[in-house]
Amino acid sequence: MIMENPEPVQKQPRVEPPKSTLPQPGRPVPSRAYPGALIVVEGTDGSGKSTQLYLLKRWLEIGGYRLHFTEWNSSPLVKSATRRGKQRRLLTPTTFSLLHAADFADRCERQIMPLLQGDYLVLADRYIYTAFARDAARGCPPRWLRNLYRFAPVPDITFYFRAPLDVAVNRILSGRPKLKYYEAGMDLGMSYDRAESFRLFQARILEEYDKMVDSDSFVVLDGTLPVNRLQKQMRDIVASKIDLKRFAPRAQESE
Amino acid sequence: MPDQEKEKNAAATQSPDGQPAPSAPAKAAAVAEETPAQYFFGEPLVGFDPSEITGSLIVIEGMDGSGRSTQIALLQEWLESEGFAVQTSGLRRSNLVGRDIDELLAKNAVTRLTLALMYATDFFDQIEHRILPALRSGTVVLADRFIFTLIARGVVRGINRDYMSGLYAMALRPHLTFWLNVRPETAFGREFKKAQAISYWEAGRDMSLSHDLYWSFVRYQTMIKREFEVMAKRHNFIELDGEASVSAVNKQLRQRIAEQLGIRATKYTPSAALAHLWR
Repeated sequence: MIMENPEPVQKQPRVEPPKSTLPQPGRPVPSRAYPGALIVVEGTDGSGKSTQLYLLKRWLEIGGYRLHFTEWNSSPLVKSATRRGKQRRLLTPTTFSLLHAADFADRCERQIMPLLQGDYLVLADRYIYTAFARDAARGCPPRWLRNLYRFAPVPDITFYFRAPLDVAVNRILSGRPKLKYYEAGMDLGMSYDRAESFRLFQARILEEYDKMVDSDSFVVLDGTLPVNRLQKQMRDIVASKIDLKRFAPRAQESE
Repeated sequence: MPDQEKEKNAAATQSPDGQPAPSAPAKAAAVAEETPAQYFFGEPLVGFDPSEITGSLIVIEGMDGSGRSTQIALLQEWLESEGFAVQTSGLRRSNLVGRDIDELLAKNAVTRLTLALMYATDFFDQIEHRILPALRSGTVVLADRFIFTLIARGVVRGINRDYMSGLYAMALRPHLTFWLNVRPETAFGREFKKAQAISYWEAGRDMSLSHDLYWSFVRYQTMIKREFEVMAKRHNFIELDGEASVSAVNKQLRQRIAEQLGIRATKYTPSAALAHLWR
């Protein structure tokens, strides 16, 4: 029913189950067509997005809201394949991209979509835009990438944490002793030096992210601001854009 | 491949399709003028130069029980006896995820999109690590199934057709695509004979078509077959009657392949090792 109905569906708590919970790959489904809400964070490594999403999650958890948190590249079904591919360096830009899409599809079909149907607030640390930025930086054709993820629900809010390249790269390089092969973009053969390769790769990714700001309605936040100020901005935006009461049964009862 | 044949007739020097003959300069000129559409279904594959292809990609499609693997074994022997190097490929044979897919299928916990994408990963890993290196070295690649089976399986499970073909936009276009067409009823008998059973996936049991295994198999394979009929026209399949005898089907395959590769004699009798296949 969602697929046949192009108008936005009113967010009312549902009593009867919808006729179909199956996604129709090939047509992007706005998450507003689901009862639940989807908030995602994006940005380069070191942009501060995971810290901020963690704090947002804590805020919502403490408030008793019904939520689920999901991370990029974490599906148990696909994990062993990804790990082996990375360890043995078997991955090309195409198979790297496909394996991450398989991982995402598994989480999407088994967690994100059912939870959105079931009226949950879903928080995602990285979403399809990570693939668009990173795989395009690896040379995959953008049109092909867009098609690959056409089954993904469109988020209610996409926060894009933007930090200047040097700030983000230095945060990573100072905190972590060793960069992994694919993480550093070594497969692109831009430099033999891992740190230098990482910097070049991140620069390309940043460029790809910036291209999506308007087309994908990113909410851009300044990743160089102090953590608590940034979190305040994030919470204000969430509260203004999402009817949080709907995800807090206790608050509704007390009305 | 028909498109390429047309091109060849139009300008004989521009033959791009791995015929043994063309000289290097003619080829380089051809590459500059050609569109990726000649080598790929849509988008070009990242980091790959089509001018390097000197081999031929020959695809045999058809449902379970259509006789694909028998024919491929025989063709490989024939081509090797004619002095051609042969490489084979097939679904779930990649080093990257072949075994992972086996596990997913066994566990039956996987959803249709994830499975479709794992198959795509398996496919492109073989394209990049098995098929392309072989084609670059002038080898004849015999593919036991190709993107068409994978697209059909996705589509009958309700995945959008454009999505599925978009997924394989970067797949190489085969030089020849054969479709061994059989009735599902015949295929059922042949498959049952092989293992005295029909597997869960062969019968499309994940689709809840029927509790009766026979009907589930027939209905599922009929749906797949309908998708093949759609693709047969669009992609110029060479349709062969898979219910004919092994030797009759093999003869037709040899004739078309001989034409493609410029082999004059198409006479062939299997060696003792393969004689049991020759019925």
